[in-house]
Amino acid sequence: MLSPLHAAHYADAAVQQRAEIIENVCLARDTYRVRLRSPIIARRIVPGQFLMLRLTDVNDPLIGRAFALYDTVLDGNGEPTDLDIVYLAKGKLTARMAELTAGRFLDAWGPLGNGFPADPIEHLIMVAGGIGQTPFLALGAEFLGLRQYGCPPRKFPPSKRVTLCYGARSADMLAGVDDFQRMGIEVHIATDDGGCGHHGLVTEVLQSVLDSHPGPHRIVCCGPEMMMEAVAELAQRRGSPCQVSLETPMACGIGICFTCVAKIKDADGGWDYKRTCVEGPVFDAASIQW
Amino acid sequence: MQVQLGRLCLPNPILVASGTFGYAREMEHLVDLHRLGGILPKTVTQLPRPGNAPWRTVETAAGLLNSIGLDNDGLDAFIAHHLPYLRGLTAPIIVSIAGRTPAEFVEMAAELDRAAGVAGLELNISCPNVTGGVDYGTDATSCRKLIESVRQATQLPLLAKLTPNVTRIADIARAASDGGADAISLINTVLGMAVDWRRRRPVLGNVMGGLSGPAIKPIALRCVYQVARAVTTPLVGIGGIATIDDVMEFLVAGASAVQIGTANYYDPAVTMRLLDELPGALQQLGASSVQDVVGTIKRVG
Ligand SMILES: Cc1cc2nc3c(=O)[nH]c(=O)nc-3n(C[C@H](O)[C@H](O)[C@H](O)COP(=O)(O)OP(=O)(O)OC[C@H]3O[C@@H](n4cnc5c(N)ncnc54)[C@H](O)[C@@H]3O)c2cc1C
Ligand SMILES: Cc1cc2nc3c(=O)[nH]c(=O)nc-3n(C[C@H](O)[C@H](O)[C@H](O)COP(=O)(O)O)c2cc1C
Ligand code: FES
Repeated sequence: MLSPLHAAHYADAAVQQRAEIIENVCLARDTYRVRLRSPIIARRIVPGQFLMLRLTDVNDPLIGRAFALYDTVLDGNGEPTDLDIVYLAKGKLTARMAELTAGRFLDAWGPLGNGFPADPIEHLIMVAGGIGQTPFLALGAEFLGLRQYGCPPRKFPPSKRVTLCYGARSADMLAGVDDFQRMGIEVHIATDDGGCGHHGLVTEVLQSVLDSHPGPHRIVCCGPEMMMEAVAELAQRRGSPCQVSLETPMACGIGICFTCVAKIKDADGGWDYKRTCVEGPVFDAASIQW
Repeated sequence: MQVQLGRLCLPNPILVASGTFGYAREMEHLVDLHRLGGILPKTVTQLPRPGNAPWRTVETAAGLLNSIGLDNDGLDAFIAHHLPYLRGLTAPIIVSIAGRTPAEFVEMAAELDRAAGVAGLELNISCPNVTGGVDYGTDATSCRKLIESVRQATQLPLLAKLTPNVTRIADIARAASDGGADAISLINTVLGMAVDWRRRRPVLGNVMGGLSGPAIKPIALRCVYQVARAVTTPLVGIGGIATIDDVMEFLVAGASAVQIGTANYYDPAVTMRLLDELPGALQQLGASSVQDVVGTIKRVG
């Protein structure tokens, strides 16, 4: 069964480029925002899509890593020229990436994956855990009608309200909260240690947002698998439509290696492994066999 | 730029390896598929296989360890859904097949013989990630018998893809050659493992996996060199190829063509660059055709 979110074509707008780093700044503890010059990808990408990044001219790390679009940057004429990616420096590639300065390059290919569908909704509730907030700045901006993405640009009636429920280990790990607030997105925070916002789980914050805003809404979610499963379960219990963006390990990002599979339910009650990079990363929460 | 692999003629020696290029369509916007010397879609089995549980790949130093487990929808689905697109391409399509028994290989070969748009078959007798998958690649007699019976079932040119996970690869290659293979593809992945010591667990869902990428290039070159000395059958070099220097090393060591594998993952347009650079590299050796350089490595000592 094809998911209703299945991209019509595979990497049908993807290009491979050596992209110049315009800036690489620290946003929070171990968290950075890198700005890459790539007008072609910036013009084509939509929220929820991702690119693959790789260090130039080295064989270790060998394989590219997937990074969600944080936002595109416009030039003086309103044309997208750059891409912002927000990343947590925690491993082989990202630790090296954090050391790169403006004027250096990264190999990039994208835009990849299906992205979030442009279906209008009165209230969009975005739920993020860990580094899972990254796809939601552009998505929130688009749903508030403040920005357009894609080529040709996706256009649809704006939402009345966009909320971000954002869970992190501690206050110093929260990255980009100002960016979200500046956009007019309501931000509700939960931290494991209570250092900022609600002391506890992001699902508890989501619960109270749902209680105080019963109107037509849709939940979108990205973060650790356990959290996404909990959000999906809550959404199902409350009868709320819910989409999740999976962060399955990937090796190519373009559908040719079959690394990134997730169990997706089929029509006859069973499941099949589907490639997250081409059929996702965004799936209807109800279609996932957790 | 043309190369001849037994009965199979290819427009150029730059092919893409099975399992590392999906069903080609995924790549149509990143690569000009028509320029490729040959396309090997992901190995097809007679019946659908879900493949192994994640994690399916893990990166190692300059390499990639995988245990995909021949995830595919089976031969009927391949012929119905993928072959129509593939046969529309100008690049020759070499279908990679794997069977659990000689009968399965034979039935699949016969069915593909009847389907239009197939230039040749590669017998994957070397996948380390399925039980039974490597028997024909590790035992000379069963290798020869298998290829003999597949040859009787089809007119299509046959490539035999061998595993490096044997003591004497030249013995297996000789058997493949005796069985009637038009060409021998060397190598499939090298059996390996990754360990998460903190959790005291293997990293891969399937415990062991096949190593690919630049890390295995010296092993692949050694296999090509040894086999080139043992048989006159044309060879297809595979293993860690990512640059034009890599391509030339394989040609000089004895391969008539090469397949690009893991490099497609981390450098999707790699094949286009290799095709652009190949004429210049041949010229550096004063060669006017690919065949002029194949197996021209000098004996030392
Ligand atoms: C669609 C998608 C979007 C993504 N978007 C973002 C994003 O916006 N921002 C972001 O920061 N990340 C994002 N990621 C994750 C990103 O792709 C990388 O996985 C991440 O940045 C880590 O890469 P690395 O090379 O630094 O770490 P790696 O060295 O690859 O390690 C990654 C993690 O796996 C563990 N690990 C690695 N190898 C082993 C092993 N052999 N055994 C046990 N554990 C191991 C490490 O401890 C580490 O925690 C996204 C992933 C996907 C699939
Ligand atoms: C993820 C992955 C999947 C593979 N799947 C197949 C396959 O289905 N059939 C096959 O014959 N070889 C398969 N291979 C092996 C490659 O075709 C190739 O022989 C091997 O990777 C060595 O070449 P490389 O180092 O250029 O990747 C696979 C390799 C990888 C990395
Ligand atoms: S990451 Fe290679 S198929 Fe999805």
